[in-house]
Amino acid sequence: MSNSSNPNPDKGRPSKKIKFSNKDEVRASASVEEDEGYLERDEDDLRYGEGEKRDFTKLELKPDHVNRPLWACADGRIFLETFSPLYKQAYDFLIAIAEPVCRPESMHEYNLTPHSLYAAVSVGLETETIVSVLNKLSKTKLPKEMIDFIHASTANYGKVKLVLKKNRYFIESPYPEVLKRLLKDEVIGHARICSEGTHGSDEFTISKALGEVEGVHDELLNESDVAAAAEEKDTHAFEIDPAQVESVKQRCLPNALNYPMLEEYDFRNDTVNPDLDMELKPQAQPRPYQEKSLSKMFGNGRARSGIIVLPCGAGKSLVGVSAATRIKKSCLCLATNAVSVDQWAFQFKLWSTIRDEQICRFTSDSKERFHGNAGVVVTTYNMVAFGGKRSEESEKIIEDIRNREWGLLLMDEVHVVPAHMFRKVISITKSHCKLGLTATLVREDERITDLNFLIGPKLYEANWLDLVKGGFIANVQCAEVWCPMTKEFFAEYLKKENSKKKQALYVMNPNKFRACEFLIRFHEEQRGDKIIVFADNLFALTEYAMKLRKPMIYGATSHAERTKILEAFKTSKDLNTVFLSKVGDNSIDIPEANVIIQISSHAGSRRQEAQRLGRILRAKGRHQDRMAGGKEEYNAFFYSLVSTDTQEMYYSTKRQQFLVDQGYSFKVITSLPPADSGPELNYHHLDDQLSLLGKVLRAGDDAVGLEQLDEDADGLALQKARRFPGSMSTMSGAKGMVYMEYNTGNRKHGAGQMKAKPKDPSKRHSLFKKRFA
Amino acid sequence: MPQVRIVAKNFMDMVASLPAMKLDKLYDNPFICQAILRSLPPLAKKYVVQLLYIDVPVSAKLFEDWVLADGASKHRVAIDRLIQLRIFNQTLGRNRETTYRINQTFQVNLQKHIVHGGALPREPMPSNITVRLPSLEELEAYAVDQWECFLLHLINSSEAEKKTNISSSMMRIFQKGLISQRDEREPAKLTEGGFQFLLMDTNAQLWYIIREYISNSEELGVDSADLISFLLELSFHVTGEAYNMNTLTDIQRVTIRDLADLGLVKLQQGRKESWFIPTKLATNLSISLSDTSARKQGYVVVETNFRMYAYSTSKLHCEILRLFARVEYQLPNLVVSAITKESLYKAFENGITSEQIIAFLQQNAHPRVAERVPSVPENVSDQIRLWESDLNRVEIVPAQLFDEFSSRGVFDSACDFARENGGLLWEDSKKMFIIVKGEMFNLMKDFISRFR
Repeated sequence: MSNSSNPNPDKGRPSKKIKFSNKDEVRASASVEEDEGYLERDEDDLRYGEGEKRDFTKLELKPDHVNRPLWACADGRIFLETFSPLYKQAYDFLIAIAEPVCRPESMHEYNLTPHSLYAAVSVGLETETIVSVLNKLSKTKLPKEMIDFIHASTANYGKVKLVLKKNRYFIESPYPEVLKRLLKDEVIGHARICSEGTHGSDEFTISKALGEVEGVHDELLNESDVAAAAEEKDTHAFEIDPAQVESVKQRCLPNALNYPMLEEYDFRNDTVNPDLDMELKPQAQPRPYQEKSLSKMFGNGRARSGIIVLPCGAGKSLVGVSAATRIKKSCLCLATNAVSVDQWAFQFKLWSTIRDEQICRFTSDSKERFHGNAGVVVTTYNMVAFGGKRSEESEKIIEDIRNREWGLLLMDEVHVVPAHMFRKVISITKSHCKLGLTATLVREDERITDLNFLIGPKLYEANWLDLVKGGFIANVQCAEVWCPMTKEFFAEYLKKENSKKKQALYVMNPNKFRACEFLIRFHEEQRGDKIIVFADNLFALTEYAMKLRKPMIYGATSHAERTKILEAFKTSKDLNTVFLSKVGDNSIDIPEANVIIQISSHAGSRRQEAQRLGRILRAKGRHQDRMAGGKEEYNAFFYSLVSTDTQEMYYSTKRQQFLVDQGYSFKVITSLPPADSGPELNYHHLDDQLSLLGKVLRAGDDAVGLEQLDEDADGLALQKARRFPGSMSTMSGAKGMVYMEYNTGNRKHGAGQMKAKPKDPSKRHSLFKKRFA
Repeated sequence: MPQVRIVAKNFMDMVASLPAMKLDKLYDNPFICQAILRSLPPLAKKYVVQLLYIDVPVSAKLFEDWVLADGASKHRVAIDRLIQLRIFNQTLGRNRETTYRINQTFQVNLQKHIVHGGALPREPMPSNITVRLPSLEELEAYAVDQWECFLLHLINSSEAEKKTNISSSMMRIFQKGLISQRDEREPAKLTEGGFQFLLMDTNAQLWYIIREYISNSEELGVDSADLISFLLELSFHVTGEAYNMNTLTDIQRVTIRDLADLGLVKLQQGRKESWFIPTKLATNLSISLSDTSARKQGYVVVETNFRMYAYSTSKLHCEILRLFARVEYQLPNLVVSAITKESLYKAFENGITSEQIIAFLQQNAHPRVAERVPSVPENVSDQIRLWESDLNRVEIVPAQLFDEFSSRGVFDSACDFARENGGLLWEDSKKMFIIVKGEMFNLMKDFISRFR
């Protein structure tokens, strides 16, 4: 699916082949897709049915409630007024302790979850601080359930730390009784390595460590910078087997022993690992939100592991480079493909004073090694995780990577990399601190804990709308263009024997083609814009591109050709439109483009929609024009073309959910191309339309299917092996709180699981379940 | 389709529709004369004042001479209204010429009123008797409370906490057209009119109820003209002042209890005396006749993601939102809901239109978003309209399917027959199916049976 990671390490860039899906699979996936709709509706009814509406009217309003910005409900939901004078402070606080559900203009919604609280604790917030600040901000008295929940969720958090010292892993805690409890667990007990100094399970290594006393949000939210006062504390520790770190960590999660481990790196006092001499260049000025995300990471003078979420185009790489320059140790930077590797290496050189010989790329094409005892290695996930036979040269480099104690493991696009790849990468490489970067929100939930606990909690998440208002990212006008199916296409669409051609039929709908052609003309001629047209369906991509005489790039396009087309797109006045298959979703960087037309897409993937939007988010033009109230209201356009009365409509709503939750709105346009447009657009005459229809129908079922990238097969195999409980709505991402990727090819699998799946209540965290039972 | 169309016409239309006898009787009361004068269109007011001291009929032609060409339509409206209210009597004079003469009772009363000033039939009670009068805010809150409680009972909501004293027979009268109940066991359902009623603003709702109240007054043994005059008189009382109950007639005392249940007045009992205090709802009666611009503050925020936040403590508001949205959270002063396709379809089914919903959202926009243009996000209002028009794409026609034709010939001639009669909806010549309009069924049957 859209995992653009590449399992084939000896070819550094994604290669592609069209994978022919077999009959049954398609049928199964189609029927499940339909089922899904009903099931979800069912579930929604259950969740919000009249009987179960959430009535919290009995909460006591404080007399000065008008001045306070939020409401907190017993089930963990929090509503925040954005027009409150305390909004900024409340936002910073909430983003630290809760998961954003939706963030439109006037009112935000957040959810308090065990994971979000875990994240809060790991950035140094204490239980009492959380409760008291929340109470101060709340218009009502805090519901008792919520206070209990915060206590219950955080009681055990922050007590245990995982520390990497001299290439050995230790579990540390100031509370020996906690360690004893952990050791009683079979898995952890088994993972323990008894060093010579200690005999029997009751003795721990005792050392002095810096404790932290932090006054973060104590005085109602002064711009919170953490004042860490050092305090000597006894720390007890035992060593564990590096190979079992993952399973130990898993055992410590809230659904098991419930002592989630924090990972912190005291890099300033690390004398063992050699320093890397690099600084940020003076012209690298982090923006306020980049600064804020870094302050969350380095809050207490140490480096915390975790994930930073910034929209595409908002400058993630500067955050990554800044983090590396602060730690000043060897850094392993992982990207999804060879193109990104080049881009990261370039970013390092652009923003930091790193010398050329200190940074190297490790891909199938370039196997460089840095000089000196510390440096930066940029490579792909696949290169590291690859299990097969490697060339001798690669083997050496990998060996080097494996043996080194990395100061920072910088992971790009963490949302696209499958969990098994992470596990492998993380077990192979030893790092003190892991920083995950992603553009699209990865919403955690107890079922998809992997990311959260493999890397760390979410440290910071920017608000898209605020960045738009600040002029940091483009202000995009999103539109959904409704294209009615022509009579003939619709008739074929409804026929049973064409079930496999449904997608081709609604994508090739002549009305859609005409709308697309109209939009391209309008933006090229009237506004002089640069346009990307996205099509997942290869057949359609080719047909459209050929008919309109525009270049296209898809999986099989060679690296050289890609570069040539993109270069022409960037520089030439004559080439303003390029057609991309889904290879363009993530990896191809085209900062010039400011219009996207999407003619076909991957079912209901909210992530793809957001990623594609991200292609045009990089702000262009002068900063002051972009600010709220500046000259240009909109400077980028995102069109999604859908054929009415087809599956597409249903998917479309679903796909937009993420962006809608971020405060974007999709304007529906029903009259494109304008009624008076005639033969100047293609397929005006019925004959042309019919011959197009014939072409679609004559094409083999295989040819009109989805493009399958090489990594798809990989992702498919992966998902088969990995079972997870959950409901269909989770998989489709329909449920607001959950966000994960799913795989159409895997649908028939999902169907089997579906039936046995319990309904909503089971999805509640155990702490809530008790309360609502 | 229910036959009741709710039109929030004003009080004066109601007055105008009274029979002549009663109308003339109304003008015995100088207050009514004043109220009517106030309610008139500006030009009509001018005519009345001009004719106030003229005792002879004035020719219509004279009036027309006063008016400039572009004022002709206003002139017509003014004259029509005056005739409708029987303030002007139209007569044919000599030369078959139309003349107008002002209603004498009306004229005399208004003259008196101008010379002597008007005095209410009752004076506010001195404050040494009425201790502890409610403040204006308290009174306002009381009125809103009473009105809401009444509405909740009106729609048979289970949310109503307080009881109402309005007799169930009276309630049934109010509910007529708003609520339908097929039989006793079934829960009553809001009709299309009922939904529309709930979406109206308070003044309009009040009018509807008062109108029903007046038009059913005869059954309760109250003369409707008396009632109208009492209500108009009431609107001249001062909000917040106490008026002694013993100044009322027996019938009025019954009426005032009902009005208290609607929140128009508050009743209080002293040690010896009892009194009523008119609320804004009562004193607005005559204002709201023509003017509905005095709006309450809005409370609804609609977001681009179709979520709706209503700053309200009112159960009624919650019930209203539930008409077209899915209520998800209820907080002490906030109702959180989502506008979904399903919730809207439910609303459309109940006869609410997209325009009504959008108008309601706009009219009740929270001050925070009210100045924003548009106050309801464009994508939301567009989508609401689109969903509605989507529903209207399919037209349902009662139809009848014919199959198993004995021969191709019979089938073909049946097709032709149906087509000629404009009743052919669909044919499948392969399978020999035809579908015709339902009303053609007998005709078709006869036609086909001729072949047997």
